[in-house]
Amino acid sequence: MTAVRAVGVVQRFGRLVALGPLDLDLAVGSRLAVLGGNGAGKTTLLRVLATVTRPAAGRLELLGLDAAHQRDRLRARLGYLGHQVGLYPALTVLENLEFFATLHGLSRREAEAAMLLVRLAPLARRRVEQLSRGQQQRLALGRAVLHRPELLVLDEPDASLDAEGRALLAELFEGRTVVMATHDPGLARELCDRAMLLKAGRDAGNPWTLRVVGG
Amino acid sequence: MRFLAVTLAVARKDIRSELRGRELLPALAQFVVLALIIANFAFDLDLVDGPRLSPGILWLVLVFAGLVSFGRAFAAEKDTGSLEAMLLTPAGAAAIFSGKALSAAAMLVACEAVLLPAMAVFLGSPISPLVVATVLVATVGMAAVGCLFAALAAQTRARELLLPVLALPIWVPFVVVGGRAVQVAMSGQSLAALPLAGQPLLVLADFDILFLVVATLAARYVLDD
Repeated sequence: MTAVRAVGVVQRFGRLVALGPLDLDLAVGSRLAVLGGNGAGKTTLLRVLATVTRPAAGRLELLGLDAAHQRDRLRARLGYLGHQVGLYPALTVLENLEFFATLHGLSRREAEAAMLLVRLAPLARRRVEQLSRGQQQRLALGRAVLHRPELLVLDEPDASLDAEGRALLAELFEGRTVVMATHDPGLARELCDRAMLLKAGRDAGNPWTLRVVGG
Repeated sequence: MRFLAVTLAVARKDIRSELRGRELLPALAQFVVLALIIANFAFDLDLVDGPRLSPGILWLVLVFAGLVSFGRAFAAEKDTGSLEAMLLTPAGAAAIFSGKALSAAAMLVACEAVLLPAMAVFLGSPISPLVVATVLVATVGMAAVGCLFAALAAQTRARELLLPVLALPIWVPFVVVGGRAVQVAMSGQSLAALPLAGQPLLVLADFDILFLVVATLAARYVLDD
């Protein structure tokens, strides 16, 4: 079964074509690492896949649902972490998770479970503004998996994470389809089974199989 | 039921953040007192002129305090990425918008709790239950419209300019009808003397219903990409 199917997906900002046309097929349970330099279109691709923005052209199907017209149903099944952590600095760790649990229609128990999962239980009553950047990133990851999504879309999830935090990523990826952008090829190898190199918004192939010919 | 739970959760989160961070309310309270002091000197008010000009000064201060309060409602969340995180849940844009509007209205009510007694002190304005009721009823509709345009303006770079340009013309009916009601109340007359169709509180309540419905329906298109 296919988790992500993109056909001719294009994203534009004014006249600038930031992404595509791009085709992508990702089976359920696959983990795709999106690699590429700054401005290659990684974040744009991830925002389209997370239904944050609508593609300007092309067709996108996620978990068997049309991403353009069935966004509300999709959002209950996908988790997203962008560049910004998107947390509330004046609220505590647990209050942040409880708030997002309410938005997902979940109970306080689910919030506590997510907090335990990202190993932030000892900091439950600490305000987010008092956490380190790495701890905030872990909390944001906890929010992304709070509702047990089938598809995870993560933009540089390893940012500011220590070795324990990186091990946590492997745990969170278990049993899920994942699309992850990273600048760390080592981490991509460690956590993902597929890779895609983006160049100027286009798929430049699998960097793990690309070889320089005549170089 | 779920709509209400989300609305209350969003409003509670905003109010709790403000009570802990104390970013907006102290600044609004200062603004209100300073605006009254400036009005006092600018109009050279005495005990005769003060109550006469009070309705106009009240609505001017309220409108500008509203612009600051509603402008912050979405701008801060947009900048930190938390608005995006909220919208990516299945909670629904309309419920999230309602919660934001509710908390912004609560901020403005807190501001009014400073403004009305300060008017009595600085301008000698007679503050009756009718004045309080008029201001509270107008706050509901003003918050709905103000938050809708604040959500729209937050998507742009010129948000500080765009919000007053969009909101002020739509707030004019509230100022006209509310101003009339406050004028009547402060002059010691009874609203019962006015014809039913011209009862300012009823007209304001009609505006509230109209703008609440329109803003909630439009929120989805404004907030979602």
